[in-house]
Amino acid sequence: MTSLPQNKIKKKLGLVIDLDICVGCHACAVSCKEWNTGGHSSPLHDIEPFGDDPTGVWFNRVHTFEVENEIKGSKTVHFPKSCLHCDDAPCVTVCPTGASYKREEDGIVLVNADTCIGCKLCSWACPYGAREYDENAGVMKKCTLCVDKIYNTNIPKEDRVPACVSACPAGARSFGDLNDKNSDLFQIIEDRGGYDLMPEQDCSPTNKYLPPRENRTKFKEETLKSIVENIDNQEVNFEEWSKEINDETR
Amino acid sequence: MKPDRAVIYFTVCSGTGYGMIISLLFLIFNNELYIDFNSKIVISALSFFLISSGLIASTIHLGHPIRAWRALSQWRSSWLSREGVAAILTFAPLTLFYFFWIFNNKPELIFIFLSISSFLSIITVFCTAKIYSSLKSIPSWHNPLVPIIYILNSLVLGLIINFTILFNFGIKINIIANLILILCLVTLLIKLLYWYSIRKPARSNISTATGLGSKTNTNFFEGPHTGKNFLTSEMINKIKNSKSFILRLTFCIFTYVTPANYILELPYLVVSDYVISFTLIIITIIAVIGMFIERYLFFIDSKHTVSLFYGNKII
Repeated sequence: MTSLPQNKIKKKLGLVIDLDICVGCHACAVSCKEWNTGGHSSPLHDIEPFGDDPTGVWFNRVHTFEVENEIKGSKTVHFPKSCLHCDDAPCVTVCPTGASYKREEDGIVLVNADTCIGCKLCSWACPYGAREYDENAGVMKKCTLCVDKIYNTNIPKEDRVPACVSACPAGARSFGDLNDKNSDLFQIIEDRGGYDLMPEQDCSPTNKYLPPRENRTKFKEETLKSIVENIDNQEVNFEEWSKEINDETR
Repeated sequence: MKPDRAVIYFTVCSGTGYGMIISLLFLIFNNELYIDFNSKIVISALSFFLISSGLIASTIHLGHPIRAWRALSQWRSSWLSREGVAAILTFAPLTLFYFFWIFNNKPELIFIFLSISSFLSIITVFCTAKIYSSLKSIPSWHNPLVPIIYILNSLVLGLIINFTILFNFGIKINIIANLILILCLVTLLIKLLYWYSIRKPARSNISTATGLGSKTNTNFFEGPHTGKNFLTSEMINKIKNSKSFILRLTFCIFTYVTPANYILELPYLVVSDYVISFTLIIITIIAVIGMFIERYLFFIDSKHTVSLFYGNKII
């Protein structure tokens, strides 16, 4: 049945992505491809991998945006994007065969590759572009939140997190139950103002994004000038002007 | 969105086939449905061919056509599933209508089965349109005018084709000619209204998509990779505004203006019926080509929200 779960989902597994930390190294994307090409949705086909114009199935991609701000300084923000495992997932309800479904036990959205007819309608319905059609297999594939890794009792307990989370060298990705109001994860979303992507699409995504922190205020021109002059005059020492800068930026 | 050939063929041809059936309903009130055997055969065969070839095309373009039967199961939530169910249901009364219409002139049975077929045909075309108009992620499709335009367009082409066939068999039916004139005008106006209503940028923009800043100060800096991917080739297709305008104009002239104009001129023409018959066939073909342009534009003109992650600031 491709209707969404009738009962309210108690456990909502998802990711929290800290855009302040992400350095854009693409390790999460590569690690995702590596795990999943051997996992639940294996293989993730590539078309012409060594040709002039290679394409292939990826569940996680890192985009980069630039936010201009003349006063506070511009920022370059690396923006990883994978399936957001929405509460009101439009990709699930449009599926004509029931191959797309949302798990009631943990809220993960999955595709049953044995019943998918490859009509691609779910990829059209997803506003985030989370679905990936596998040309060679003729079925739709998507991020599974590494369902074959997070519940895998054959691997050490600390490794039972999605591949993208274990790969991130900067610790920009956190994984957990986003419905658990006592968790650190919930607290950090509250503190940092974690937000949904495209809330106007009414998908209520599970994954949350933490915004980049505000840049410190620029020094006033006069302060800089006076510091430079003072250095020339050898009137201040290091402690003094580090204190001066700190006062200015506070 | 990528204009997929199979989907364009399916929506135009099946829609036209259903339109031919619906338009037969208008004949019944004037007792004009009881025409000669040959014209019945041609209308039945052509409408059946259009409907089924469209459905077959839409099935073949699937990744796994052999599993297509599974698509009938989720009619509770999915418009695509509903469309499949409606299309198959339509075949039952439609086959009975063909049978009784061609071989057995029982007015009551013909009337009953034609009414049921027409009703289900409208439902099927409505479901086809709803597949697209239910997608919030494509703002220009998520429009209440889309289903109305789909139904009216199928009716316009159905009427034009039926008129041409009947004229070729020497039957001139005024009610169809009048209906073509009215529907061409009405559909053209609704289509213009639709184009006007999709002019404004949608609520989703680069600011809501990324949550980083306003849409003026957030810029796309770098894509996830240098090549194309499934998303960019399936959902991010561009057409120049000037080209889109020319195609819109061509479609309007081909599908609405040309047939309506010729039908207006018909009573004043002093040429033989053969010439008119031949011209009507040419005009019908032009109208169908126009509809293919319309469906191509429906896809290529629409912008998906995922393009906001690949460089579009507004859609």
